[in-house]
Amino acid sequence: MVIQQRAHSLWVILLSFFVAYLLAIVPFPDWAMNYRPEWVPMVLIYWVMALPYRVGIGSAWMAGLLLDILEGSTLGLNAMSLVIVAYVTLSLHLRLRMFSYVQQAGLVLALVGLNLMVTHWLQLMTNQTTASSLMFLMAALTSAVIWPSLFQLLRQVRRSFDVH
Amino acid sequence: MFADYRFGYLERVRFGLGYFTTPVYWVADIPTRVSFWIDDVFVSRTDLLEENENLREELLVAQRELQLLESLASENSRLLELQEAAEVIEGEVMPAEIINVSPDPYSKRVLINKGSTDGVFVGQALIDANGLMGQVDEVLPYTSWILLITDANHVTPVEINRNGERALARGSRDTSSVLELQFVTQTQDMLAGDLLVSSGMGQVYPKNYPVAEVTSVYADPGQDFATVRARPLAAMASTRHVMLVFEDEEVITPEVDILLAEPIDMPAQEDVAPADGSADSDTTAQGEQSGDATAQPDIPAIAEPTEQVEPEQSAVQDTGA
Repeated sequence: MVIQQRAHSLWVILLSFFVAYLLAIVPFPDWAMNYRPEWVPMVLIYWVMALPYRVGIGSAWMAGLLLDILEGSTLGLNAMSLVIVAYVTLSLHLRLRMFSYVQQAGLVLALVGLNLMVTHWLQLMTNQTTASSLMFLMAALTSAVIWPSLFQLLRQVRRSFDVH
Repeated sequence: MFADYRFGYLERVRFGLGYFTTPVYWVADIPTRVSFWIDDVFVSRTDLLEENENLREELLVAQRELQLLESLASENSRLLELQEAAEVIEGEVMPAEIINVSPDPYSKRVLINKGSTDGVFVGQALIDANGLMGQVDEVLPYTSWILLITDANHVTPVEINRNGERALARGSRDTSSVLELQFVTQTQDMLAGDLLVSSGMGQVYPKNYPVAEVTSVYADPGQDFATVRARPLAAMASTRHVMLVFEDEEVITPEVDILLAEPIDMPAQEDVAPADGSADSDTTAQGEQSGDATAQPDIPAIAEPTEQVEPEQSAVQDTGA
């Protein structure tokens, strides 16, 4: 019974990541590319915060590798940045749970911004073409705006499917 | 970590993980397919008839052009044969569809729905109905990434259709889809409106596919090179239906003969030439000292190369006939 439930809940987590991947690669018009919220880091932040004993740095690494394949970027690029995000979230998760939505959104802004900056630096280090302006950081802002609703949605999902 | 990725040890890992990512692409593509399906299902009969008629007319026009082209192509190949550079391209194409674009706005890459199971290979050329689009960059099991010719890291060897001037077309560094021709000297004959076709120099793209149209030429006398911009002919942003080219080059035999013949002739010339040169320099050095006999030793030196050239020309005429 317990095993079945664990498998069941794992399925919910994987599905949430699957949807996040979908949203991450759905084509946008060119002008909106910089404003696309970073779905995968946000879903990762939520699960690390809610279930730090199940979703951790290892999961972040795997999630990042899959995102790399999906985006066709250098293998390890998103893996590295997501691991950093997961680490920071892991060390802050107790405080994060106490925060109000606005405070959480502020931290998500910082974390997604960090994620974007790390990706940008790694791209520069590996001599790939990247943005010449800092407009790509706008994605962090849209992510923070979306965070409260995403948080509520994922919490609903977690409670209704009894993921723990 | 990155050393690994740079040297490509993880190609296999990427390939394996590609199996897991395929369903995501498949689901992400559903909205487009549904909209196409709706377009297909809910279309009136009169629209269909009208479209059918238009297509028939277009087909007639295209067939007529094809007939002209065929005669031109055969004439061209005959002329090329005479020029010993005959190279017939009869590439086959495989239709494919673009199912996604790179989420990073600064790398111009697209994803197509054909992968290694369909025989796609790295470096394969991709075209659409209007011109060259790009080349296969990475092959996954059921999908592959295409690097477009407008990517900043991509350079296409092109030539001007009008006069055969060669150039390198590089993608732009910003988000616009413009090509820049690199290292064009001020005196090169290029005009706005010229058609650029692939020159086949890099051995990646087949020859003579239309690539772009020159939009502006700006020659600043203070600069080393002219600034030439071109607009790609392929509909980079709007097309969905593309073709992968399976190149099938047939090299006509005379070229092979000459390629084989040249290395045999060339060393002989080279062997003779340095000997002459050294002899010349020796004699001129002596001539400067003596002052009298400078002109006389030159006569055999000129005579020998002309003798060498003559048999080669006759050989060429033989093979041509």
